[in-house]
Amino acid sequence: MASIEIENLTKRYGAMTALDNVSLKIEPGEFLVLLGPSGCGKTTLLRCLAGLETPDEGEIYMDGELVFSSKLKRIVPPGKRNLGMVFQSYALWPHMTVRDNVKFGLDVLDISESDSNGRLDQVLKDLGMSDLQNRYPSELSGGQQQRVALARLLATKPPMFLMDEPLSNLDARLRMDMRVELKKFQASTGSTTVYVTHDQTEAMTMSTRVVVMRDGQIQQVSPPSQLYKRPENTFVADFIGMPRINLIPANQSDGKNHLYSNGDIDIDIGWDEAPSSIVVGARPEDLKISKKELKGSQSYEVSSVLPNGPETIIQLTKGGTILLARIGHEIDVHEGEKVTVQFDQKALNVYDAKSGALLGPPIDTDRTN
Amino acid sequence: MDLAIRRDSPLMRLILDPVNILLMILLGILFYLVLWPFLELVLHTITWGDGDRRLSRDAVPGEYTWFHWLQVTASPLSERMLYLPLVNTLITGVISTVIALIVGGGLAWCVIRSDMPGKGWLQPVLTLPYIVPSFAIALAWETVFRSPKVGGQPGLYQTVLGIPPPEWVSYGTFPISITLAMHYFPFAYLLVAGALATIDSQMEEGALLSGASRMMILRRITFPVVAPAFAAAFVLTFGKTIGQFALPFLLGAPTQFHTIATMVYANLALGLDSMAYVLAILLILMSLLAIWASNKFVGNNARRFETISGKGFRSRQVALGGWRWPIFWSVATFGFVVGILPLILLGYQSLMLIDGFFNLSNLTMHFWTGQSDPEIAMGEPGVLHNANILGAAWNTIELALFSAVIASLIGLIIAYIVVRKDGNPLARMLDQIAFIPFLFPTIAFGAMYLTMFAEARGPIPALYGTFTLLVLISVVNRLPYSVKTGVTAVTQIGRELEEAAEVAGASWGRRFRKIIVPLASSGVVTGMMVSFVGVMRELSLIILLITPSTRVLMTVGFNYAEEGLTQLSNALVLIVAMITIAGELILWWAGKSKLVRLREKHS
Repeated sequence: MASIEIENLTKRYGAMTALDNVSLKIEPGEFLVLLGPSGCGKTTLLRCLAGLETPDEGEIYMDGELVFSSKLKRIVPPGKRNLGMVFQSYALWPHMTVRDNVKFGLDVLDISESDSNGRLDQVLKDLGMSDLQNRYPSELSGGQQQRVALARLLATKPPMFLMDEPLSNLDARLRMDMRVELKKFQASTGSTTVYVTHDQTEAMTMSTRVVVMRDGQIQQVSPPSQLYKRPENTFVADFIGMPRINLIPANQSDGKNHLYSNGDIDIDIGWDEAPSSIVVGARPEDLKISKKELKGSQSYEVSSVLPNGPETIIQLTKGGTILLARIGHEIDVHEGEKVTVQFDQKALNVYDAKSGALLGPPIDTDRTN
Repeated sequence: MDLAIRRDSPLMRLILDPVNILLMILLGILFYLVLWPFLELVLHTITWGDGDRRLSRDAVPGEYTWFHWLQVTASPLSERMLYLPLVNTLITGVISTVIALIVGGGLAWCVIRSDMPGKGWLQPVLTLPYIVPSFAIALAWETVFRSPKVGGQPGLYQTVLGIPPPEWVSYGTFPISITLAMHYFPFAYLLVAGALATIDSQMEEGALLSGASRMMILRRITFPVVAPAFAAAFVLTFGKTIGQFALPFLLGAPTQFHTIATMVYANLALGLDSMAYVLAILLILMSLLAIWASNKFVGNNARRFETISGKGFRSRQVALGGWRWPIFWSVATFGFVVGILPLILLGYQSLMLIDGFFNLSNLTMHFWTGQSDPEIAMGEPGVLHNANILGAAWNTIELALFSAVIASLIGLIIAYIVVRKDGNPLARMLDQIAFIPFLFPTIAFGAMYLTMFAEARGPIPALYGTFTLLVLISVVNRLPYSVKTGVTAVTQIGRELEEAAEVAGASWGRRFRKIIVPLASSGVVTGMMVSFVGVMRELSLIILLITPSTRVLMTVGFNYAEEGLTQLSNALVLIVAMITIAGELILWWAGKSKLVRLREKHS
């Protein structure tokens, strides 16, 4: 177990800034996921940690030791950083057998043959690869290749794991299984793990904390549940969640401070301190749909119905406003029907219309648990 | 500031990075082996040499002078030394290139785009003339058309018809053009076939669906796509023909017919070094001009046409209908005449006790297995007993082996640097310098090394007359090809494979040995075989650098031919041809894609 500290890291490629003054502290044993759209700098950050890229500015400490500093002009090469890495392509050496692939790291360390063989047998057994150890990577399935990559990682017992979209090459089903396996794997080794992905489901299901990045900057660092319930700006709110959140720009209605409208719909945010121009964030499941007229509800037309197994996504139209709602089987709606909508006031997040930053309302205990 | 000298400081990392160190070392070596010899050659021509005193009373050894250039370009000697050979070079070059292109282009179309039968085995047969040493074809021509009017025994033509062939058929422009075309049409064929194979039938089918006629498709789609390849093929083939030495020498020199390349050799034989070097420079300029014209004309780097994609996708084939078999027989007959018949003639000729008498009682194995007999061939024993030849054979194998291995390894390292340091200006420079030998006509390249290594320079001793020099020039001559092969191989090795080893703590040397070399090996070994065969049949490149102790099969064969010991020379050339064909056959079977294999074979 080791901690990682990143301070004011900047990396430029020509005119493009891939990492913009990034600071981050990763606790020992943590499973930290770097999440963001492609080009956000997550992979660059991971490669800087690995030592495969040289940042332009900033410092990196690993386990309290300075491994990179632009000021002190210090770069510790990748092989000396005491970490293991899983690549997107797995990077299994195609000309070596499974056993030789796993053994390579041990050979580099000049471990005695008997020690290294013992260690190898153990690792291969742990990962259920003993029977396949004399095969070549091309003779393995995607999941088995993945396991070889993990075995290679494990062989040298590094206190830190770096993983670059390791599941993106697997088919959907296998990916699910491997998520569970990877999470167990990480928990059993206890190694601090930094994991890059653009798949938010992966991020949410596996991590202890998620770092959302955009344009080389960190947008938010939170545990997954909080990331979903309380995104700190409209970018994160919009990026996290499938189907996407309803972001409704609205202005204060005359008279009451907590009443807002965008011209088509009225929303009671239940909070008096918000400025006059805001963006209301409401997750699709925070819209309560009913066929009955209720107090404080408004009437919408169902413009589209998209059933998806246990749930159904419906698109609602009122004037020029389109909202998405998630409903279960308890209600059956059809295209063209009129329904009423109630916003779950406690789940709403309010953002500044200009900066997109989260304003409130203040956190309730039941909002973040 | 004291931290700046630490090993883990960025500056020291940059300096200590083994790839950077290699980059600098290779730049230095290539500068010394490619650019400097050219400067040395130029310098030699504008400096009075020791031997110049007998040419001019004004000669002051070591002083600068335009004497040699004026002698070559504007003196009473100029016509015979420069202008006539220049005209000869251009005429034979253009005629042979045009024939090679028409024949090669037509064959390429038949093989790639038509449903002609027998393609599988016709293709190797059609490339045979390019695989065997170029002057094998010249020797075969002589066997048939030799005319006693010039000297020696009559050829097959006279034996059969009873009258000597006209002299223009025996020597000069006609036979040189034809034999050059015979040797180089496979080269044009490979270039055009590559371009034809890259035409996606869907382009044509798209036009067909939009209602275009077949002629319109040919005119508007097929031809424009192939035209650049044709233009490039013209220039590259022409560039190769003008550097040819042995072939025009054998079919021209007996009647004082010279090209620039043979004039270089002739001048050196007369001790007129500087004149020879002026001609060599002019030859290089012609080659540069051709490449420049190709770039200008085609609007791209000539290399692009060497890396024509080898992806063998099936293109729609034109049905020949009733012409199918007549075309097959024509192509097969042609393949036999240019690919196999010359070898049979050489073989038959090497069995004749007295040259020129084509009857069975004249047949003997003497030139192959016979012991020394003062009555025959100045007492030279048969090639399989001849210590002279066995030594040459050993030298040849050593030279080809060393050169192929070293060129492939250095090519791989350069390719690695070029691919991995993509965008680094020094790496790009390395790539470009490694390509330059491609632009040197081989005999001119030999001349460059002659000036460069005739005397000791600093710590480098005079390498003239050493085996090392032959290896050096062969390696550098092969570099453009081996770098290209290496780049193809390294590009296919994902960066992550190496990074995985780097994270595991493996040093660069270990990564290169354990990851890069094994993964690049299949491509590199193929390239090595190609180089091995290429070096083995090379003559023009090394003819100026050979001394008796460093003789190789090709030069011994050439010397026999020069001395009129044609049976021995034919036997030798046949041996080299068989070895190169065997090498090609191995490559043929090992090659995954035919086109991949073929495009590597430009030498």
